[in-house]
Amino acid sequence: MDLHRHPELLDQLAGKYALGALRGGARRRFEALCRDYAPVRAAALVWEARFHGLTELGPAVTPDPAVWRRIDNLVNAAAAASRQQAQARPSRAPSPSGWAAWLSSLGVWRLTAAASLVAGVLGAVVGVRQVTLLRSEVSGLQAQLATSERIKYVAVLQDAKSNAEVLVTFDPRANTLTLQRVGGYRESPDRSLQLWALQPGQKPRSLGVLGRESLLKLTASDRDVERTVQLAISLEAQGGVDGTAGPGGPVMFTGALIKKQL
Amino acid sequence: MNPDPNTLLIDLLDQVARQDQQALHALYQQTSSKLYGLALKIVRNREWAEDVLQESFLYIWRSARMYRASLSPPMAWMGVIVRSRSLDHLRRQRAEGDVFAQDFSDELAQEVAADEPTPLDITQASQQAVALHQCLQQLAPEQQRALSLAYFNDLSHSQLAQQMNAPMGTVKTWIRRSLLRLRTCMARYA
Repeated sequence: MDLHRHPELLDQLAGKYALGALRGGARRRFEALCRDYAPVRAAALVWEARFHGLTELGPAVTPDPAVWRRIDNLVNAAAAASRQQAQARPSRAPSPSGWAAWLSSLGVWRLTAAASLVAGVLGAVVGVRQVTLLRSEVSGLQAQLATSERIKYVAVLQDAKSNAEVLVTFDPRANTLTLQRVGGYRESPDRSLQLWALQPGQKPRSLGVLGRESLLKLTASDRDVERTVQLAISLEAQGGVDGTAGPGGPVMFTGALIKKQL
Repeated sequence: MNPDPNTLLIDLLDQVARQDQQALHALYQQTSSKLYGLALKIVRNREWAEDVLQESFLYIWRSARMYRASLSPPMAWMGVIVRSRSLDHLRRQRAEGDVFAQDFSDELAQEVAADEPTPLDITQASQQAVALHQCLQQLAPEQQRALSLAYFNDLSHSQLAQQMNAPMGTVKTWIRRSLLRLRTCMARYA
């Protein structure tokens, strides 16, 4: 189904999904669409972000102090158990601190989802055979990581009616901003869209002019993106404008830049 | 510019991921009232809500390293954990016919029906949460109720219809209209 052509329907589905009102088959189908299509994912993200305010401004009730004591005890027990296990297999295995040092030298702690695999295995007992296994797993993960993007920043740029138009992600390792057009807007041939970074107390800074592809990459440095709080896209004459004077044409889409710390 | 309250929570989750027990305690101190309030609102029983809170924090202790990959604001990530455990609990109790343990007393109702956030809540909340709150106020009462029941009580359209004693078509219309109006309203705050 081409949800591009049915923006109202996409918005309703995304809203119901975020609310929890989509069930069974409809929910599974929507989740499949989310996996396959960025515009669907973007719409769902926008609605989920809206509803999480319900938790933020929900009732605050102080729990009984006994609850924390129970959590604390259980966490202590879990920590003690894993320390015991680590000590139970002495000589052959490297010491826990040796492991930690080796792993951090690989930069493995900077992996995202992949790290949970390694960390999970580490939590278990380490024998000699398992050491070999671990090493090959880690190099496999490293290879994977070398080709996958680490998303550190993300922004959903929306129009005045809150329709998601452009999904932006920034990969600091490759110094690349990836822009994905997720809405229906297409500039006319004599116009260009230009991306601007908005930092507090400063003039908007151009990050580049967009080509017409639906998926495009622009070069940007960590410094460009670091203090940026918002991104904006303006409509300019073809080829864009000189970045020093700020946008010449109207601002079409804006969105907050969300920083996810790795 | 106000410091982002999320930054503190993100840093704490980071430290919890490195098995820092004190960070877990700090995280608990910052967030447990909101999370307990959420659990209580769904399960309506103090003992069950305490169990949910306990299980949730143990889960957070074990899986904080997965938070970074989720790309969510911290309260949203933790809220989802608490909400899903609460709903699991609720479904188990319903299956066992134990709904009578749910507490519908006035006292509990008052504690969790605090739909009016305090002025302090509002200054500390994110802009988007405040916008949501203002926009919800502008909906008709049955629309607000339908949204709240769907979100906090995990009710399908047909279950909503039963709970609210209204035809399914009407309930669907309430949801559809309220989503439309929310979107328009929140766009004005963007």
